[in-house]
Amino acid sequence: MTTILLGPQRFTITVDKTLRSLGLEGSVAMINSGWEEREGDDDELGGYLQGRGDNLRLYHRLVDSLSKDRDFARAALRFRDRHDELRAFYGIRLQGAVETVAAVAHRTSVESIGPVAHSAAIEAVRDVDRWYGEQLEQLHDEIATDAAEHSEVIGWHRSEVAGALDACAAVVIAGGDVRSLMRTLRLFDVRIPADKPVIAWSAGAMALTEQVVLFHDFATHGVSASEVYDRGLGRVRGIVALPHARRRLRLSDTDRMSLLARRFPDQRLLLLDDGAVVRLDDDGPDLPSGSRTIGADGAVSVVEDAA
Amino acid sequence: MSPRDRLAVNRLKAKLPLDGPTIDRFIGRHGSPIIEGERATFLFRGEVDEVWLRHRVVGLPDPMALERIGDSDLWAVTTVLPEGSRVEYQLEIRKGESYERFNDPLNTRLAHSPMGSSSVCAAFGYRVPDWVSPDPEARPGELVDEVIQSKALGRDQPVQIYLPARYNRAQRYPLLVVHDGPDYLAYTSMKTVLDNLIHRLDVDPLVVVFVPPGDRLKEYPNHAPHARFITQELVPLLNERLPLIDTPEARSLMGSSFGGVASLSTAARYPGFFGSLMLQSASLVSTDIGFDHGGGPVFDPVVKFVNGYREKPEQVVDRIYMTCGVYEPLIAPNRSMVPVLRHTGTKVHYTESRDGHNWENWRDGLGGGLSWLFPGPQKFVYE
Repeated sequence: MTTILLGPQRFTITVDKTLRSLGLEGSVAMINSGWEEREGDDDELGGYLQGRGDNLRLYHRLVDSLSKDRDFARAALRFRDRHDELRAFYGIRLQGAVETVAAVAHRTSVESIGPVAHSAAIEAVRDVDRWYGEQLEQLHDEIATDAAEHSEVIGWHRSEVAGALDACAAVVIAGGDVRSLMRTLRLFDVRIPADKPVIAWSAGAMALTEQVVLFHDFATHGVSASEVYDRGLGRVRGIVALPHARRRLRLSDTDRMSLLARRFPDQRLLLLDDGAVVRLDDDGPDLPSGSRTIGADGAVSVVEDAA
Repeated sequence: MSPRDRLAVNRLKAKLPLDGPTIDRFIGRHGSPIIEGERATFLFRGEVDEVWLRHRVVGLPDPMALERIGDSDLWAVTTVLPEGSRVEYQLEIRKGESYERFNDPLNTRLAHSPMGSSSVCAAFGYRVPDWVSPDPEARPGELVDEVIQSKALGRDQPVQIYLPARYNRAQRYPLLVVHDGPDYLAYTSMKTVLDNLIHRLDVDPLVVVFVPPGDRLKEYPNHAPHARFITQELVPLLNERLPLIDTPEARSLMGSSFGGVASLSTAARYPGFFGSLMLQSASLVSTDIGFDHGGGPVFDPVVKFVNGYREKPEQVVDRIYMTCGVYEPLIAPNRSMVPVLRHTGTKVHYTESRDGHNWENWRDGLGGGLSWLFPGPQKFVYE
């Protein structure tokens, strides 16, 4: 199973060379539903795919499903309202828990209680993340899944999408709004066959992992802590994808980066900046040399060649 | 060379006597006002008996006399103007017994308000935010005119409703109600600002209702019918007609000057109805003893409300974004309200600008305020 995660493609284009390096023939399934209503403006992207792109138009299919299936549309609204409220409460709990970690870390400890308190504070953050994940799964089970399973329109779209994925030689997933991307991937039950190479960047790279984590340390306002958003497709295991890391993370703030790493102890935090090309040839967590990650100490390190 | 000698006007004085062409070249080269570090030199040219700089900057003398340079027809005064400042001013002249006041003829930069226009002096370091000008890439929202029959106010009340770009009835939106709505649209370019900030993902797409005042001085300082109109008529009607998020957290009320008093007093009459407020240079005048507030009769109901609130402060919203210019007379009342509001448990974000009581100050504060009240979806987008 070959998966290639790239840095953002806005200024440094590498998808064309990467696709050529695979030496494949046949169509390339394009998923760019993160572009939302601009999904159809795909000429430039299609050009990088040597004119072989087959846009799965997942966002268009979502809009079509919402307009044709009222039961699904009602369920989608209910899901969104409850998800928004869940995220609001998660944000309140998370912000408090993260601020507690910082406060504990800065408190002078004479009697060696500090490190224990710090670990416990980080565990409390993990507990908030876990609570959110469990609530979200419950929400998916209660509302979203059922309505989609019984929808003829969605069933028809799913079958078309599955057919296109079977027929293609490779899959490309672009960035954009990760909410819309995840929503469409989940709704149309996108399952990419293991033998099809996948090239993805930005939101697309995040979608391939087990856990989609939102982050923006320089966002003007709102919840400043990184947030778990959803589970991803899980094709790439053991990795949290962090596109635009230099522009979006305070990488020099090792306390902050350390907390981020320690929140996800089973995952490696992979930085995907401009020009990054990370090729993963099986489902293991080994990263190729040159990959940049954030360690538990909060420092950025570069994976060196095992040899 | 001393700092004083480095000023252009002082170098000019060293060339006395001045002839017309020399002054022409000086003005052509420097314009007016001349900004040199934290000094601003204001110029006037003409055969008059006296010239003054007129302004409302707290801390600087008003009027400020300009001095004639030698025997020429050029007048000048230099004052301190800290980095990042922006002030509005006019010039006043006397010819014999005749006085006249007007904008600076040597300065094309003007600010507009319901009271007319003024000349603008921007100090070193001041920049007009780039989200103020129309961005061709930003999709425009739409302004819709509506008239609401108000029993509370006993009249038909017009409003303008801003629907963001890509408005979709299948979505749900937060709501912002704006006092002095037409003035915000005319003098802060608020529609353009909203279009740009939403486009940049700094602000969540939202519905904004611009409400014009009736009898402003009567209805804005703590007026029961006004508060009833906003909370019991306007918002419920909008909830019926538009896909709004019907929770206090998603509802905000804002205003400047008396509009700020209207916002706080409405929230105080209906605690918990709004989740947040944006108060820009709110006229929160109070007295610590007696009733001599110095604001004249129009401020009497303001002072009565603010004194009452300060005596028994209570939390009426979750969050307040407060701004005030350091050069306006309301800076002390605003500063003194911050701890009062915070003491109630309200989360208060308070910022000051080096500006005055004017619309461009309030315009420049919209970016910070709107993105604090309605944070945009930056965290979701990874292009």
